[in-house]
Amino acid sequence: MIRAHRFDWTLAVAVVAISVVGMLNLYSATWTSRPQLYSQQFSWMGIGLVGFAAAAALDYRHLARLAYPLYVVGVASLAVVLVVGKTINGARRWIEIAGISVQPSEFMKLMLILVLARFLNDWPVAEGRSLRHLAVPAALVALPVALVLRQPDLGTSLILVLIFATIVLLIRLRRGALLTLTIVGALAAPLTWSHLLKDYQRQRILTFLDPGRDPAGTGWHARQALTAVGAGKIEGRGFLHGTQTQMHFLPERWTDFPFAVWAEEWGFLGSAALLGLYLFLILWALRLAAEARERFGAILCTGVAGLLFWHVFINVGMVAGVLPVVGVTLPLFSYGGSSVLTVLVGVGLLMSVSLRR
Amino acid sequence: MNAPGQPAPDLRRRFRVMAMVTCAAFAVLVVRLWKLQIGDGAAHLRRAHANLVTDVAIAAVRGRISDARGRIVADNRPTYDVYVTPRFFKESMVARLAKIAGLDHARADAIRGRLRDVSDVARYRPMRLLHDIDRDQLARLETARLELPGVRVEWSPQRVYPMKTVGAHLLGYLNEIGPDELRTRGDEGYQAGDLIGRAGVERLFEASLRGREGRERVLTDARGVRRSKDEVAAFRLGHLLQDAGVEARAGHNIVLTVDFDLQRAAERAVGRYRTGAAIAIEVETGRVLAMASRPNFDPNLFSGRMTAGDQQGLEGDPRRPLIDRTVRENYFPGSIFKVLPALAALRDGLVAPDEKFECKGRHELGQRTFRCTHAHGKVNLEQALVRSCNVYFYKLAERVGMDRLADISWDFGLGSPTGLGLNSEVGGFVPTKEWYHRHWKEGFRLGFTLNAALGQGNTKLTVLQAALLYATLANGGRVFVPQVVRRVEAADGRVLQEFPPELRRTVKIPPEMLRWTVRALTGVLHDPHGTAYDVKVSRDLTVSGKTGTAEIGPQRRGAEEGSHAWFAAVAPAFAPKVAVAVLIEHGGQGSKVAAPAAVEILHAYFRSPDVKMATTSDGAP
Repeated sequence: MIRAHRFDWTLAVAVVAISVVGMLNLYSATWTSRPQLYSQQFSWMGIGLVGFAAAAALDYRHLARLAYPLYVVGVASLAVVLVVGKTINGARRWIEIAGISVQPSEFMKLMLILVLARFLNDWPVAEGRSLRHLAVPAALVALPVALVLRQPDLGTSLILVLIFATIVLLIRLRRGALLTLTIVGALAAPLTWSHLLKDYQRQRILTFLDPGRDPAGTGWHARQALTAVGAGKIEGRGFLHGTQTQMHFLPERWTDFPFAVWAEEWGFLGSAALLGLYLFLILWALRLAAEARERFGAILCTGVAGLLFWHVFINVGMVAGVLPVVGVTLPLFSYGGSSVLTVLVGVGLLMSVSLRR
Repeated sequence: MNAPGQPAPDLRRRFRVMAMVTCAAFAVLVVRLWKLQIGDGAAHLRRAHANLVTDVAIAAVRGRISDARGRIVADNRPTYDVYVTPRFFKESMVARLAKIAGLDHARADAIRGRLRDVSDVARYRPMRLLHDIDRDQLARLETARLELPGVRVEWSPQRVYPMKTVGAHLLGYLNEIGPDELRTRGDEGYQAGDLIGRAGVERLFEASLRGREGRERVLTDARGVRRSKDEVAAFRLGHLLQDAGVEARAGHNIVLTVDFDLQRAAERAVGRYRTGAAIAIEVETGRVLAMASRPNFDPNLFSGRMTAGDQQGLEGDPRRPLIDRTVRENYFPGSIFKVLPALAALRDGLVAPDEKFECKGRHELGQRTFRCTHAHGKVNLEQALVRSCNVYFYKLAERVGMDRLADISWDFGLGSPTGLGLNSEVGGFVPTKEWYHRHWKEGFRLGFTLNAALGQGNTKLTVLQAALLYATLANGGRVFVPQVVRRVEAADGRVLQEFPPELRRTVKIPPEMLRWTVRALTGVLHDPHGTAYDVKVSRDLTVSGKTGTAEIGPQRRGAEEGSHAWFAAVAPAFAPKVAVAVLIEHGGQGSKVAAPAAVEILHAYFRSPDVKMATTSDGAP
């Protein structure tokens, strides 16, 4: 029987706060170049709100039944993208339906979380798993990752792998398995470098490690972002008054670097506050995971927490020069309807778990 | 699905660990932000501001050059160029630009091609798409400015020579400074792309003409679009523009000594022949009134876009139009040189004016026979000059000797550059006995002196030196430093520098002897026996001059094209104002080719409104 809890105001306020701030920031980032993106994002926020409500109202345990079919739908849509998808800047990531672009790889993140939660929930092993037991989950993540890499989309592939890793952390592994995993992980890096990464992706990482290499190319982007962030100082340049942003020295202002826009205009105080909001949301999700009534719900919350954490950590790390430039968006800040919808539905699922603790 | 139960307690521990790792990760981010925004914030803000600042060079207007009568012969014209920054100028905008500027398909495609070929680094630098657009295009581009973001119209002055080919060598031309020069002249403030005077007065007075570039600081966005004053205030950026501008200083103007009407006449007179040169010098001051070298070229070619075809045309032309034949080439003077052995003999009493030698058409010296043009019979010095008798001068040469000849040549300033300083002038050559000892296997022979007296052998001088020589004869023995510039003025008209006549030396010859020579030479044109008697001279003008036929091939009797034609003259003979020297390369006989040209130039000089003709009452004997 479902025990209805009090409506989780904390969660709701947190996510609404981030959404509102995100829209504010998007306005500043786009009004001088592409004002239409702002209104499009607004619409997607509306749709996302509906999605959030629907996910929250639904009993998440019903989703367990749909996990595998949804997964198959997700993988199928990834395959469809590779065949009939829309190409922008050399990457084929979107399907256009009735003039609206959707990015299936975004939804795939939730579907992966669902299917992993379902699988691991069904098969508890008391004394710890061996590598053998990880075969199926690994396959479950490998398939979508391979398809996404073909688009190509290094960032999303990375997120999928990291979500998987986060969830795996919950599993009790035997020591031998853990050791093997570590070694495989260590070997995976050079192999990925030479075989899986495209040239421009390699260039980005090399430029990150040695910024002097390529001052007018990718390194230039990263340096302009750093300058924007630093120029914010403590109190920020003021809303709509950041020169890096408004004078177009900062590129990719609404995709990769919206945090730089925020940091330039709201300074350290604004940046720390925003990070605090995200941290709060992630910790709240972990708390929900700990308090979930069953394994499925716990894994679900962990997955959503992982999705949020890795997006925020990699994107902000990239903007701040701690990580190389990888195309990972900032949830509810970066322009992208599918991403907004995914995040809001994900948080809706958190709400669903929270209501039924 | 069935819920097998609550998550195990150890899972809760994992969540705690995850939470701590999350906090640690965010702490790393916050620390990093602290360093960026608080630790290095000021430096980043400075860099952000530096992104906005562009220093735009304000071109200095180059000084104008005008001739002696105040006509402008070198000027500046504003040209307008269209620039874009490739990074912010999409290929789709090319069509719009083409439509507004009225470009045809070929031009538009060429632009598209250039935009495509731009390297990654150059994408952020402004690129010139159109050069020297007309007023119509300018107006249309200005009106449609908002439709074409990232497109800028920049102004730059272009050098223009209104007189076109007239005075080309004298004026010179400009072209871009080269990378080596930038290094050696870096501290003079030149920048890549600057134009520098390459020849003529443009080069000689480069420092005065150039002016000094100014600088304007502007704030632009990443596309290079200049920000308005309101924006500068709104973003609180005013402090970036303080004390940053420097005004441009216009170059000084140059006033020449040359009269371009006379210049045009001189070029026309010489231009009838394939190659040649002429100089007119003011006798009392050494100022150059005209210096013509043909063939010439149009210096405007160098100011605009010179095509490869133009360049090849100039450099590959076997007539070498770029060479200034008035100062850059040494020529055998031929018979115009005869005045020097004559004066040397007079000065040292080696011959009396009425002493006669007999000319039978040839002169034997040892094994060799030296020829004359005619058998002149018995002639004295004056007759020998007027009829240009070679035999007389062979005999005179034996008395004068090589070294005395060298001595008087140096006295008149030959053998070294005149000091004009224009177009890398050369100084001719005066041989001596010692030189022959050093450079000839058999050493010095008397025959060399005979040739030298006739202005052949190894004696050489420039057309400028020839004119200067006769000017010195006419002004009582003063060797001036020739000048082409009268004064330098500031842009506002203030006189900055005047050039009074500069005396180089005075010859050690009594002025009466010089006057005697000038008077004797009137016979060349006005005596029926004179070598140039056939040349028509205006009735109220008396000209004193000398023909010369300088053989440049092996001596053949009646050789025509193997000789350069010379004529040097001063006028009016009894109160000389102007000295003229004309050289026609491969012209054949001086009397037939060079003399008429020189007289034509003299007529042009005396026709000009502020020159009074000498009347015969001016002291003619």
